[in-house]
Amino acid sequence: MGLLSIIRKIKRKEKEMRILMVGLDNSGKTTIVLKINGEDTSVISPTLGFNIKTITYQKYTLNIWDVGGQKTIRSYWRNYFEQTDGLVWVVDSSDLRRLDDCRYELHNLLKEERLSGASLLIFANKQDIQGALSPDEIAKVLNLEAMDNSRHWRIVGCSAYTGDGLLEGFDWLVQDVASRIYMLD
Amino acid sequence: MEEDDNLPAADSALQRKHAAMIERLSNSHQSRLARKPNSESNSTFISTSSFLSRFSESKNSIESTLSRIRQTPDPHTNPTLKSELDNVSISIADLEKLVAENSFSLPSYEVRTCLKTITDLKQLVEHVTSEVIPRKKFSFKNKSTKKITTQNDTVSEVPNVESKDSVLRVLDSPGFRGKENEVLVKEFGRGNDEEIREFVLSELKGCDVRLMGSVRALFVHKLIDCKVYVGPVFGSVLIEEVTNCVFVMASHQIRIHQAKRCDFYLRVRSRPIIEDSDGVRFAPYCLKYEGIEKDLEEANLGEETGNWSNVDDFKWLRAVQSPNWSILPENERVGTVDISS
Ligand SMILES: Nc1nc2c(ncn2[C@@H]2O[C@H](COP(=O)(O)OP(=O)(O)OP(=O)(O)O)[C@@H](O)[C@H]2O)c(=O)[nH]1
Ligand SMILES: [Mg+2]
Repeated sequence: MGLLSIIRKIKRKEKEMRILMVGLDNSGKTTIVLKINGEDTSVISPTLGFNIKTITYQKYTLNIWDVGGQKTIRSYWRNYFEQTDGLVWVVDSSDLRRLDDCRYELHNLLKEERLSGASLLIFANKQDIQGALSPDEIAKVLNLEAMDNSRHWRIVGCSAYTGDGLLEGFDWLVQDVASRIYMLD
Repeated sequence: MEEDDNLPAADSALQRKHAAMIERLSNSHQSRLARKPNSESNSTFISTSSFLSRFSESKNSIESTLSRIRQTPDPHTNPTLKSELDNVSISIADLEKLVAENSFSLPSYEVRTCLKTITDLKQLVEHVTSEVIPRKKFSFKNKSTKKITTQNDTVSEVPNVESKDSVLRVLDSPGFRGKENEVLVKEFGRGNDEEIREFVLSELKGCDVRLMGSVRALFVHKLIDCKVYVGPVFGSVLIEEVTNCVFVMASHQIRIHQAKRCDFYLRVRSRPIIEDSDGVRFAPYCLKYEGIEKDLEEANLGEETGNWSNVDDFKWLRAVQSPNWSILPENERVGTVDISS
């Protein structure tokens, strides 16, 4: 039995998934994680370092790594790439000026070999704000169509503030990862 | 995307699903709690002090291994050095994992000091490696050179993908832009759409800006010699490239980047942060206009939290006070500013 299938076996038993959340600072990563976990989101400081949340979602255990996105600490992101099953890229859809930065960082991230097998969910967050770009517009600006054909990806509009879209996004991600790792279960 | 007329049904289905999820979550949380005392004896849930002693133990051992490697006579011909260095890298990775596993139970200060230590160790390994092993055999693919890039020189952004409509929308975002020596006043309509908007202040010089009423997000970019007075922001304020300005603002979150010689009078629910800034000073919020109490109250900013002085400097991850910011001495503060018209 090859190593890969042994690893699959182990993961299969535990039904665990490792999810990495990244994106520019202020995009709403921590708010999303707390919201989906049903926790209070009224006082959140910018993340210095990272948080890990273990939540049960459907029949899976998700280990969600929420990593700070401030410029100074973006270079730490690569410390968390190993064994990532699902990648969540969060975008502040109302921060129009920094969309260039956002595209640059995303494409930079996608070059990373250790993430090449991860399913990619892009959350076009803050849809509750009036000036926010729609998910379609965000997809265009971020040039998502230019992504590698082999990548499983999807963009979902959401608001961590109201909760809209969060389950839709996570449902897709978890299903997509499950269908790859646990195959036909 | 769903059709509009599906929405109510989808909504309630979603809500049921969500409620069920939360119940499941709280159940699993309870069972986790119940399990906690004699939980699996791996490194999760160890106390801060035992964590720190473990951390510094491995740190010391890594450092002493490195210094031993460094002192090896004639390193270039020693075949075991490379594998020793690889082992050191593995130990560092383990250390990192230890921090990760304990990050949720550790005070954030410890977490970032540990992360800083880990980065330093990694640099040390790279350094020692380049000393003892000839360059050409060894290259670090991931060495980041991108950290130096700045976004300063892009004022108007024309994304290099065809996205004409979004560029138009960029210009559409409500705000004040490109003004000099003006008084700029905006009163956000109460209880209507405007309060769930974003607002932009960009490229202003010598202006006096007064924003009354509440707004959901505020973006501030490239201001020089300005005074900026802001009612409650029910969300976050993002400030970049400001010089010689005074800001009086209340918000749930405040992020300050590339600020020089600025004073901030803040009320904020979380910890304000600075990055790439210097000469910035902080004091408590001091704004008045007719109806501000009600606006603050409604935005959940009615009470002083004391957070105006809990500043985190992302460029200064040490225990001693950052040299980049200070508390504005009381005798230099402006006193209450009334912007009622
Ligand atoms: N209006 C609105 N505000 C949001 C939404 N999601 C997050 N925010 C606000 O955006 C700000 C940033 O949210 P965080 O969750 O701290 O962002 P983050 O991505 O974790 O930031 P870092 O930790 O610095 O990387 C906070 O003030 C949130 O309240 C949303 O969907 N709508
Ligand atoms: Mg965060």
